[in-house]
Amino acid sequence: MPPVINEEKCIVCGKCAEICPQDVFFGSENNQVPVISYPEECWHCGACTLDCPAEGAIRLRIPLPLMLSYKALPH
Amino acid sequence: MGQQTVSADVLCVGGGIAGLMAAIRAAEMGAKVVVVEKADTSRSGAAATGNDHFRCYIPEVHGDDVQPFVEMSMNANMGNPRSAGYHRTFLSKSFDIVKLWDSYGIPMKPLGKWEFTGQALPGRPRLALKYAGQNQKVILTREALKRGVQIVNRVMAFDLLTDGGGINGAVGISTREDKIIHFLAKAVFLGTGRCVRLYPSPTPGWMFNRAECPANTGDGRAMACRAGAELTNMEMPQSWAGPRNFSRNGKGTWIGVVRNPEGKPVGPFVSQPDRLHGDMAANLFPTLFGEFERNNQGPLYMDCHGMSKEDYDYMLWGLRNEGNTALINHLQEEGIDLQRDAVEFMTYELTTRGGIKYGEGGETSLPGLYAAGDEYFAGIATAATFGYIAGENAARFAKEREAAEQANLRADTEKRIELLKAAASRKIGANWQEANIALNQIMQHYIGATLAQPMLEAGLTNLRRLRQKAAASLISRNQHELTHCLEVLNLMDIGEIMFTAALARQESRGEFRRSDYPFTNPLLNNKELACKMVENRFVAEWKEIKK
Repeated sequence: MPPVINEEKCIVCGKCAEICPQDVFFGSENNQVPVISYPEECWHCGACTLDCPAEGAIRLRIPLPLMLSYKALPH
Repeated sequence: MGQQTVSADVLCVGGGIAGLMAAIRAAEMGAKVVVVEKADTSRSGAAATGNDHFRCYIPEVHGDDVQPFVEMSMNANMGNPRSAGYHRTFLSKSFDIVKLWDSYGIPMKPLGKWEFTGQALPGRPRLALKYAGQNQKVILTREALKRGVQIVNRVMAFDLLTDGGGINGAVGISTREDKIIHFLAKAVFLGTGRCVRLYPSPTPGWMFNRAECPANTGDGRAMACRAGAELTNMEMPQSWAGPRNFSRNGKGTWIGVVRNPEGKPVGPFVSQPDRLHGDMAANLFPTLFGEFERNNQGPLYMDCHGMSKEDYDYMLWGLRNEGNTALINHLQEEGIDLQRDAVEFMTYELTTRGGIKYGEGGETSLPGLYAAGDEYFAGIATAATFGYIAGENAARFAKEREAAEQANLRADTEKRIELLKAAASRKIGANWQEANIALNQIMQHYIGATLAQPMLEAGLTNLRRLRQKAAASLISRNQHELTHCLEVLNLMDIGEIMFTAALARQESRGEFRRSDYPFTNPLLNNKELACKMVENRFVAEWKEIKK
């Protein structure tokens, strides 16, 4: 479930929890790896991945129901 | 429940584009300004992760006469029923706002010149200025703070304070701590965005798969109407379109052609990807994807093949600035290449197109109450422009007024607070999801694509029953869930207003289709339905549209 935090790379700055428009990180504590309390409320806007200062510390996992529908073109 | 009081000259409810621009201008006018925001102003709402097009009129590009552009806006499907004065004020002011944003550090000329691409009909003037707005809200937040604006994040304002017809502030709850906050203010600006979680999302059981920010739940409309302000056009439906399953606005940024399964263009505008115009078929007719599917002529695709590598890179850059970074990352992770693969588009769920009636000064029907942006069908450029204008007028209004000494809560506000306390202490009952899903179910079934009196009446009865049951049985485990309870109650009010207005409009007009009144009544051409609260009931009355 999105977002996914890499605890090894997280620098516990709290930025993602501070700015998330849906507050999926509700209940996170200062100076600790944020908790993802409400993953089903993620909007997949990517604000957390845009603002995270630590490369590779957070990513979005797009859930299966959001799988794009597409077709390869014959050209 | 803890209590806190915050005082201001001008209170901005909602720290979106409109609210931050109102705050910036009101502070420049010398007002003490407070912004109350449900999330965090640097990344909240519809503009959270960006926009890439800003509608504006630049004389050096478009010529000195604004009048043809006023007429063009009046005739655009999104223009009506706003007055000519509204369009003229917007267009005349829009370049000033563009220059302001550029001076703040939002790249309005990222490629070195004023560039107008996309969102245009071939042969017509182009008004969508391409800009790089990915960090626009971070920058506007910084500019507001620079001017001494106090930003109160993670507080949901849910009711206006009124006293004998005057607006005295608002009351809200913290979304994180057990606390209620009274905001005392001489003027209030509302900019809380659209009504997103009214209808079911396209994905069964996935409430937050939304083209627009799911935290936007019509809070401004609901609190304004309960305080006596007029809403307008609430019965008018609106739906957006975009990639199937990954609900996201930004269709105007795609450089492709909407094609049917045989590869034939569906719209009359373009037959090859066209960077200057885009394919306005998706913009002008967002419902066509659903219509083609229902007629077994779908699915329809956004087909970008044949574009140059330069245009492809330009489109991806635009989509990232338009707030579609997560979508672009997903395409890359899945190996979907828009030069080879065509993505299916769909019509997303309904919402209302109506909202708080505000004029070209941002004024509402209540003295001291201002609104702009998506409080009524708008967009980023009008949000910025009328937010700025409304902030100036709110500051002027506040100068002439004494502050209230204390918060006098209306009876219905007291009742709402009691409801919240009960929800927080109740152990067994309905969580907010139950209430939201039940509301979605009623909206979809009774006030969907085609409308008729018996269905509308049954839906309204069911909705009122649901509201009563929810009020008596909601539970929440913490402030986050309590916030959602308040949101759902607001959405239920919005739903009730929509049913009331849909029953009153006994005709069909545009996307509003009554199967029992299939005609468009010319006698209603210059009228609109004003919704307001009278003796604790929402009512809808016909009013002349002022030209």
